[in-house]
Amino acid sequence: MNWIGFWTLTSREVGRFFSVYRQTIIPGLSSSILYIVIFGFTLEKRISSIDGIPYTIFIIPGLIMMNALTNATSNSASSMLQMKLLGQLPDILQAPLSSFEISLAYIIGGTVRGTVNGLLILLVGMSLADMTIADPTTTILFIIIVSWAFSSIGLLLGQLAESWDQLATMQNFILTPLSFLGGIFYSIKMLPEWAQVASQYNPIYYMINGLRYTILNTSDSDPLTNLSVAIVLTIGFTLGAIMLMENGKKIKH
Amino acid sequence: MKHPAVSIRNLKKKYGDTTALKGIDINIDDGEFFGLLGPNGAGKTTTINILTGLVRKDSGSTDIFGQDTISNYRFTRSQIGISAQEFAQDWFFPIEKLLYFQAGYYGISKSEARYKVDELFDRLGLDKKRKSRLRELSGGMKRRFQIAKALVHDPKIIILDEPTAGVDVKLRHELWEYFSELHQTGKTILLTTHYIEEAEMLCDKVAIIDKGEVIIEGTPKDLTGNQGDSGITINISDTEVDLKTHLNEFSYSHENERIHFISNDPEGDLPKIIDVLTKAGCHIQRVETTKSSLEDVFLKLTGKGINE
Repeated sequence: MNWIGFWTLTSREVGRFFSVYRQTIIPGLSSSILYIVIFGFTLEKRISSIDGIPYTIFIIPGLIMMNALTNATSNSASSMLQMKLLGQLPDILQAPLSSFEISLAYIIGGTVRGTVNGLLILLVGMSLADMTIADPTTTILFIIIVSWAFSSIGLLLGQLAESWDQLATMQNFILTPLSFLGGIFYSIKMLPEWAQVASQYNPIYYMINGLRYTILNTSDSDPLTNLSVAIVLTIGFTLGAIMLMENGKKIKH
Repeated sequence: MKHPAVSIRNLKKKYGDTTALKGIDINIDDGEFFGLLGPNGAGKTTTINILTGLVRKDSGSTDIFGQDTISNYRFTRSQIGISAQEFAQDWFFPIEKLLYFQAGYYGISKSEARYKVDELFDRLGLDKKRKSRLRELSGGMKRRFQIAKALVHDPKIIILDEPTAGVDVKLRHELWEYFSELHQTGKTILLTTHYIEEAEMLCDKVAIIDKGEVIIEGTPKDLTGNQGDSGITINISDTEVDLKTHLNEFSYSHENERIHFISNDPEGDLPKIIDVLTKAGCHIQRVETTKSSLEDVFLKLTGKGINE
């Protein structure tokens, strides 16, 4: 293992998004505050509580998850695509680094960004809505696992995409709808029967509910299933990203 | 047994229906300055990219100091520093940090790399630009930074892919001087270039590559001598002298008052020929030397100029 090389690439990935925090950290934070203030406080008058939990607090785990997974995905995806388009990728591919080390460095970069964003929204929720956390350790672990899974997805997308347009299409037409339909703003019990069944095929549904369970002790789905889906997705997409890197499709000739 | 620095055997590569390499054989000894000459699309960059792992070969072998570039990639890549033809861009970090990153990828920690980074910035005249972003550098500075990146992990083999493309004459000469210094310290250098003068001046050996094949390989002097039309033409005033007796050690043709000597090294042979002719009693009226360049050799072998 080239530990120094791996650490260098990881710190570059983390340093990259911190150096542009106005693009990578502040927007998620400010939009989540707006969601809490506008959706939460205005809709709370109409939807007083879900499972006995005030509506404003109910949506916070969903907002945390949405921020964590979108940031984790876009970090590794945009970094990989950017390196490809700006001609930086050969510096890494020609160095004595394995596909495993390169993939892991990118995934960790995205995981850190997803986790930082998720935790910031958690803090916002605690301070703005007086939210208390049922199991803080599991909450943090869950945010890390989900960020890791979506950072791996981002790395897959970044390797496959050949333009910003392609990447935006994948993110806007797949990830964003799945996030919103995963139950950020509602309990699936509020949906018609067919939509409840359809939601069970959306992996993000389990992640939002998993996090909601660790924070609020309530979930539409079985907590163990939530955790299992998160772990299986994490392992599957991590292996997929590493194998694609090893294969070199769209990054090597 | 001492292995060559670079050994390429029967290397083949196709991109779809296009054959990029038809079976290249190249051997570069440790410490040699080797030039790979050829027009665009000849297969130079593909060859380099296969050596460094950026392109996958279809068949053939590529070894660095006797180690396969695929199965022992960690060793082989750590031996190579590459200055790519195309500039990479970066929007986030100052060039000093980029150079430390580059060292890090090769397993060199920041504290270990500090001396080398300082030395390179100083030697390549980039010291005042350490905190600048790449986009703030001129073309010449970007080229120098590209070279610094290739050298920061102190590789034994340096690959210079068109290292002086787009730089002004002054910088080109400064870089030539630097490359010579590196060569004198024992580095093996593989140079690809469009500037034949560059290869003639710097390289111990060159290979001319065209349409994915090595057409010829040798020292610049041998190539220009054997494949070119180098020679000495001397006009003498009296033709009574028995030239055969006096000039039997030379290869020449004689027609009336004009004698043409075939020579691989006209400048070196000229004093001796004049001496022999003078002693034979010939009155020399006019002397003309012709020396072929690699450009002429290239033209003769490929039927086109290197920049066509």
